[in-house]
Amino acid sequence: MLSKRSVIVALGLAALAIPFGGAHAQTALDDVLKAKTVRIGVPTDYPPYGFVGPDLKPMGLDIDVAGLIGTRLGVKVELVPVVSANRIPYLQTRKVDLIVSTLGRNEERAKIIDFSHAYAPFYQGVFALKTTEIKTFADLAGKTVAVARGAMEDEMLAQVAPPTTIVKRFEDQAATTAAFASGQTQVIATSVSNIGVLSQKNPGLGVEYKLLLRDSPCFVGIAKGEDALRGKVNAIILAAKADGTLEKLSQKWLKRGAGDLPL
Amino acid sequence: MVEFTLWDILRNLLLAARWTVVLSLIAFAGGGAVGLVLLVLRLTGNRVADAAIGAYVQLFQGTPLLMQLFLLYFGIALFGVETSPWMAACVALILYASAYLTEIWRGCVAAVPRGQWEASASLALGFGQQLAHVVLPQALRIAVPPTVGFLVQVVKGTALASVIGFVELTKAGGMIANVTYEPLLVYGCVALIYFALCFPISLYAGSLERKLHVGRR
Repeated sequence: MLSKRSVIVALGLAALAIPFGGAHAQTALDDVLKAKTVRIGVPTDYPPYGFVGPDLKPMGLDIDVAGLIGTRLGVKVELVPVVSANRIPYLQTRKVDLIVSTLGRNEERAKIIDFSHAYAPFYQGVFALKTTEIKTFADLAGKTVAVARGAMEDEMLAQVAPPTTIVKRFEDQAATTAAFASGQTQVIATSVSNIGVLSQKNPGLGVEYKLLLRDSPCFVGIAKGEDALRGKVNAIILAAKADGTLEKLSQKWLKRGAGDLPL
Repeated sequence: MVEFTLWDILRNLLLAARWTVVLSLIAFAGGGAVGLVLLVLRLTGNRVADAAIGAYVQLFQGTPLLMQLFLLYFGIALFGVETSPWMAACVALILYASAYLTEIWRGCVAAVPRGQWEASASLALGFGQQLAHVVLPQALRIAVPPTVGFLVQVVKGTALASVIGFVELTKAGGMIANVTYEPLLVYGCVALIYFALCFPISLYAGSLERKLHVGRR
């Protein structure tokens, strides 16, 4: 009966904890400073924003931005690997303090989490082989499209693609890219930079850019109502923008300028 | 961009496979122990226990392991309870494995002819003695193939723990595939490692079956 008892204990703890739930609000910054560690959710399957090196350590634009935030807060950074599908639960349940994970801003997300200023550009598009004829979104009808579940492009695609589009959703960007590269789907919706790396690695594949889904820059995600932490992160991003750090990071990883980032 | 040699790919996959092994062992040991306790409770014939365990089995067989992991890790945390990935993975895998194992074993015990219970009762053996000396040894023989079949499933099922942050074999494979852009090679290696983990279990089960059935040949 161990399991039953543990369920009862868990339920009891949950009941006890509900009244204290409110005490969480507005403590994120203090918690971070007290622990001298900021836990940041980063992607590990999305080059060049977040991917792994031969030692399986994360690297990329998002990881550098996470490092920048940690340095300027004067605390250690603990990187937590997240994927599109679980990054917001990580933040909601305070298992991370921030997410720096190519997160786009939209209304649905803004209801449950807060956003900082944008820190990097991000373009999403629809890509296919040169031989595939796609001129407008209407041409997607009847075609199979790979997309990462829970990512921005999944939602965008649902709005603009005709209903007969066959959308294949994959757990993460790795599986999405693999599905397209191996010919399981005719089309892929993903970031421009991801496809950039793909065509660089597979010059023979003949992938080309077809349609722009959206220009949706990356924001840092912060738990709802944590204004103190958000203010601090915003100040860090503004300072990094002013002193050219963001521009340098964009050039380093994306091979293009940061452009005009929205506040 | 970074370059991965074949050795880099293999080395990282093998390191990640340690998690797969540890998570599997936890599921085997914990699930087996809890499953056995539940089985015995169910065999006592107590109606309340029987119904409760039946509901428990239905609950965990009827929901995906992925959701169980997700709810245990993120769901409980929504109420402000601290949950660690370790705790969530251990609890979810043990609950999941125990529900399946207790049901598999119940079937095996049910397959032992009723006459065996009656005969042992007529010899004035108590419930514990009947189980230990008469019924379970016979059920064990029947139980080996389905149990091993399930354990092999569990080894592969541990891949789901990546949703709560474990970088185990499948997750590591995904990460490497997306930086090398060689999914076929990477996932091929992943499949081979899973096979190398699962095949010995099947082999051992075969030899165990031969040993247990020695009296019947």
